[in-house]
Amino acid sequence: MSKIEHAVRDIHFITASASRDQWVNLIHPLVKFALTAGYILAVVSFPKYDLAGLAGMAVYPAAVFILADLSFLDAVRRIYPIFLFPCLLGICNPFFDKNTILIFGMTVSAGILSMMTLIIKGVFTVLASYLLIATTPIDKLCYALRMLHIPKEMVTQIMLTYRYLTVLLEEGNSMIQAYALRAPKQKGIHVKAWGSLAGQLLLRSVDRAEAVYESMLLRGYNGAYLYLKEKIAFRRWDVVYGLFWAGVILLFRKYPVVLIAGNLAGGMLG
Amino acid sequence: MKQVRIDVENLSFGYEKGQDILSQISFHAEKPESIGLVGANGVGKSTFLKLLVGLFLSFRGSIRINDIPVEKSTLPQIRAAVGYVFQDSDSQLFMNTVYDDIAFAPRNYGLPEKEVQERTKEAMSLTGTGSLEKRQIYKLSGGEKKLVSIATVLSMMPEIILMDEPSIALDPRNRRNLIGLLNSFGQLKIIASHDLDFILDTCGRTVLMAEGKIICDGPTKDILTDRGLLEKNGLELPLSLQKREL
Repeated sequence: MSKIEHAVRDIHFITASASRDQWVNLIHPLVKFALTAGYILAVVSFPKYDLAGLAGMAVYPAAVFILADLSFLDAVRRIYPIFLFPCLLGICNPFFDKNTILIFGMTVSAGILSMMTLIIKGVFTVLASYLLIATTPIDKLCYALRMLHIPKEMVTQIMLTYRYLTVLLEEGNSMIQAYALRAPKQKGIHVKAWGSLAGQLLLRSVDRAEAVYESMLLRGYNGAYLYLKEKIAFRRWDVVYGLFWAGVILLFRKYPVVLIAGNLAGGMLG
Repeated sequence: MKQVRIDVENLSFGYEKGQDILSQISFHAEKPESIGLVGANGVGKSTFLKLLVGLFLSFRGSIRINDIPVEKSTLPQIRAAVGYVFQDSDSQLFMNTVYDDIAFAPRNYGLPEKEVQERTKEAMSLTGTGSLEKRQIYKLSGGEKKLVSIATVLSMMPEIILMDEPSIALDPRNRRNLIGLLNSFGQLKIIASHDLDFILDTCGRTVLMAEGKIICDGPTKDILTDRGLLEKNGLELPLSLQKREL
């Protein structure tokens, strides 16, 4: 199976996950969106050496993975390429930050500590975003964005891009397969063909976009955002869920809960 | 009673200046006719259908739908009256779920949500797609996508239905279902297709096009059994008639 086919399958898997009737999936999309945004802000706001405090923030993704009945390993397999980005950024830290810090009586390189903090921040934020899209269908997510007064043109773009991402990936895949079948001795695509393949894909994308737009016009589309006209009401559970996690995130952001719990446990054992 | 009709007079159109794809076409149709539009590749069948719904307005001559001229100011009325089923269902279906796609048009026309629901359910019931209501579009088979495409148009309750190659990529069973479905509709229908057997089964009248012109317009049984006429215009007898000859 080619990389593009894998990507298409991954998108289909995430869409199917979001459409399930799991308890977390049914939480109001605005609550989940706000929690995810708040969580990401809280994670990135940790000081660069506060690894112990940051570790506590694992509680939110860990709990949502369990509540949504999603596989952590599956998620890592699907999104690990994104993890490389914070890793690449963080890898420079040990070279630039030569200070040392004393932790539990051990001298640790501040550069390595800040590198690990950066990587973990990256992992947590990516996981939180993954959990949001794996538990919320795109139309509900767009509904939440509209509730936040994000311009309808932008929301429509997001909606249609998501819908047509797989169609375009499949289009690209069939072009690559057609190329490979007529160039069996070549490994990959020859650099000379890159330009024409990319050009063809662009032209096909434009054609597709035109056809879709025509189809929308013929069904009365006038630029207004009209998806999910039925209002999604807030239920008591949505509020409880939102307040609970907002409290937990604030608590873990303000106090090094993991460190305190560790000290307490250590004290009790001692 | 309001008359449902299409009147085209001396229609000419080209994508490039000076290169007409359609030339001096005159054509009239009214409810409840079912008309097959046949011709070899590139004779302008799809372009003709797109002109009828005002997707291109730089034509010469006149097009009137229910006595309303097709022009920029009348497009909302024209498009509310005419449903267009695209050749490629992936171009037609752009929402995430079957229900949302079928409900798209009634919602855009500002109908109350209760009526949107009623129309959507009725379109699904007519096309037998009720069981697909919550399915994601990408999970549908080719035949299911075609039926849903038709449902998206039926929910508009159009008086006229235009279809571009509706039988393409359908297996025999889905093709048979589609024929039954189309024959049950009372609207004015124009079906552009290369599938002459499909036209034979669904249309009482056929318009044969070649080189941007209407060559022949008459009963389907007369036109599609005329081997000489069909071969002269780049077509062949429908397969079912060829078999009979064997």
